[in-house]
Amino acid sequence: MKTLKKYSYLYLIFIGLIGFAACKPEIQTPKPSRGTADFTRYIAVGNSLTAGYADGGLYREGQLNSYPGIIANQMQAVGGGSFSQPLFSTDQANGSGYIKLTGFNADGSPITTPVTTNLAIRGVLPVPGFGNVILYTKYTGDINNYGVPGIKLLNITYQPYGDLNGYYERLLPGDAPTNTTPYLDFVTAKSFTFFSNWLGNNDALGYATSGGAGDVLTDKGTFAQLYALLIGKLTANGAKGVVATIPDVTTVPYFNTITVSAIVAGVQKANPAVKSIYINALVAGTTYAPRIATAADLIVLTFPTSMIGQPVSTPYGTLPYGLTPYTPVENQYVLDQNEVAMTLDYINAYNTTIKTIAASKGLAVFDSFTFLDNVKAQGLTVDGISLNSGYISGGIFSLDGVHLTPRGYAVVANEFIKAINKQYGSSIPLASVAAHHGVLFP
Amino acid sequence: MKKILLLAFALFPALGFSQGFQVNLEGQKQIGMGHTGTGVLLDGASLFFNPGAVVMLPENYIQAGISPLVFQSDFNPSGTVTQYHSANKVATPFTFYAAIGPKSSWWKLGMAVYTPFGGLTDWGTSWQGKYVLESLNLKAIYFQPTVSIKLSKCISIGGGFVYNRGSVDLTQAIPLSNNSGQDGQAELKGSGNGYGYNAGIYIKPSAKFTVGLTYRSKVTTTINKGNAIFNVPASLQSSFPQPNSFNSTIPLPATASIGVGFYPIKKLILALDVNYVQWSVYKVLAFNYANNTPALKNTYSPRNYKNAVSLRGGAQYKVNNKFDVRTGGGYASTAVRDGYVTPEAPDANRVYVTTGLGYHACRHLDVDLSFEYEHLMSRTQTNNSSQLSGTFKTNVYIPGISLAYHW
Repeated sequence: MKTLKKYSYLYLIFIGLIGFAACKPEIQTPKPSRGTADFTRYIAVGNSLTAGYADGGLYREGQLNSYPGIIANQMQAVGGGSFSQPLFSTDQANGSGYIKLTGFNADGSPITTPVTTNLAIRGVLPVPGFGNVILYTKYTGDINNYGVPGIKLLNITYQPYGDLNGYYERLLPGDAPTNTTPYLDFVTAKSFTFFSNWLGNNDALGYATSGGAGDVLTDKGTFAQLYALLIGKLTANGAKGVVATIPDVTTVPYFNTITVSAIVAGVQKANPAVKSIYINALVAGTTYAPRIATAADLIVLTFPTSMIGQPVSTPYGTLPYGLTPYTPVENQYVLDQNEVAMTLDYINAYNTTIKTIAASKGLAVFDSFTFLDNVKAQGLTVDGISLNSGYISGGIFSLDGVHLTPRGYAVVANEFIKAINKQYGSSIPLASVAAHHGVLFP
Repeated sequence: MKKILLLAFALFPALGFSQGFQVNLEGQKQIGMGHTGTGVLLDGASLFFNPGAVVMLPENYIQAGISPLVFQSDFNPSGTVTQYHSANKVATPFTFYAAIGPKSSWWKLGMAVYTPFGGLTDWGTSWQGKYVLESLNLKAIYFQPTVSIKLSKCISIGGGFVYNRGSVDLTQAIPLSNNSGQDGQAELKGSGNGYGYNAGIYIKPSAKFTVGLTYRSKVTTTINKGNAIFNVPASLQSSFPQPNSFNSTIPLPATASIGVGFYPIKKLILALDVNYVQWSVYKVLAFNYANNTPALKNTYSPRNYKNAVSLRGGAQYKVNNKFDVRTGGGYASTAVRDGYVTPEAPDANRVYVTTGLGYHACRHLDVDLSFEYEHLMSRTQTNNSSQLSGTFKTNVYIPGISLAYHW
């Protein structure tokens, strides 16, 4: 009997130990801190990248995965307030429309198809002397993400801008063509405690993506003046913030996917005698002249390569497109070596301005120029995912070759967060890159 | 001509036969005493712990045991407050031993079946490291026919041939999303064989002191033609041809042990073991696929494990004729260098405590219970190849029971 009792005790101890198995291990993490910043009302100022533009359009899923949205979500842990984005409704979730990957050709090249259903387009406004402005369904709620696709720093004080950019018009109460509120006044109308600013990309990108043909680079002095005005106003009421530099636009897949050598190789399959293609390249100032293309000339992603070799009638007879000095690939398809150098020179000047003004105001800086250069040079591995600057395969850039995938935006959000934490001694938790997807495949 | 170098990403399946998967659950009496058993002789489990001692068993033994193992790991990604817990899955390492010979003879024969390596880790499909590993179910079952010979009254030797039947089932996400945003999935599933041996010497200089030396050899296990199943968006399936198979070779390390037993009073056994595990054989993990494509290349990932040491101690006290109580504990150094820690068995230096209860149910039957709690020190790491960065912390809970019939 005594033995049995002892046995029971020991058995109970044993069972108790098994019960202990229910406890999971926990890793103690320090409580996140806001440091010297206040994230109560965070606003995001910027262009398409800030809006969550992707795959050649602004649509709801892209908006939901915008980097400011991701940052704001992480700020919740350190006293961040609610963050409203001007989302398209679920009924009009496809917003402006976008392109979707629908397959691959036999040679491995992607087939993209425009999405044209469930759009939020409410009309088209012809503006004399400017062109047609597509108008979108108005958004009327609170706004924290002021990202406006297409906006340049150059535009922020321009009163009629709300009549010329449909993405901005949809945020304003008034209908085009009656708007008079400059962007800078609009974003600063309601008080805020923290801001992010990534304006300035389009001041260089607009020129570059048009092959140096359809737009001009914003004057360096004008850029510096407007940037000082912008930051002065954003910090006027004591708000702290983070700004980003302008990436080297030539690091994006839009300029690196269709290469001169790939075009030549394609032509040589049909005609082995062809050794090179001709482009219309910048000589100096505004003078352009045809010459043989080199690897330093960047062909835009939207160049229809099937045009190469098509007959073109010229004063010298019918000649194949792109293959003679009389029928060079047109300017708008090529950011040639001189244009690349000029763009880079402007971007470097813009970035010096950005860094100098940010330093003078004690703002955090995400140096996207250096970051994307490194990604292009070395790739980036995070959470077991190998990312790089490649088109489609790289995982960072969306189908338009300029804007990012949700995964790319998560990477950028984390870089912003690291810059904020470094500057303000805060500890905003990083977002999970693995939880955001890259390009979607059919 | 829009040339895309599609899918230049690397798929690096992870397979870690680290300390975490050296399960050490080879006999309930020995588990209760902190996994000691090289230098003491308790029952048929000596076929594993020291084949040299088996012939010294006063009786014949047939016994079987099971040690259900709950591996609970927690991961906190660097710079976050997020915690990911591995699922509660129960692995079931088991043992079977038979040691038989004529009474008081100079020889005994034995058969041992045990699971020296194994593990079951399931992080789920939505955690931050899903592209490194989702789940891994790994088993190595050793079959060991053994002979043990008494050379003199105080020295005996023994050895056994080891045949390993290993199996692996590994899943990981592939960072290629379909139109609904779901990841691709890879599953590598296969089994293979390996061979080795287990040998030992047992010395009994006095009634108060015994000592044992053993060497369990490396068992290189090769998986041939395992299933390599890739589920990716339809437009990319041709880059991951199906069906496909893989080959891989994993060296299970050799272990050299020395153990001693002290018997200060009649009712008390004290045991100490030192093991030296030659993990440095695990230099790389290579996977070769039968059908390669530019997206699906053979992989070769460095592991560069280092040799590890474990120290074990334990005691058994005979309460009365019916009951023995046991306790023990130990320390094991990690085999995995900084930068190589992976989530399948997030290895770190570890400590454990054990307890056990032996019940002599009747003259020929022992019922033994054991319980082990093992704690892996928290370890903050960024993996060199995956860049998965964060802190791992792991606890292992292992109850166990065995029945031993002896005559």
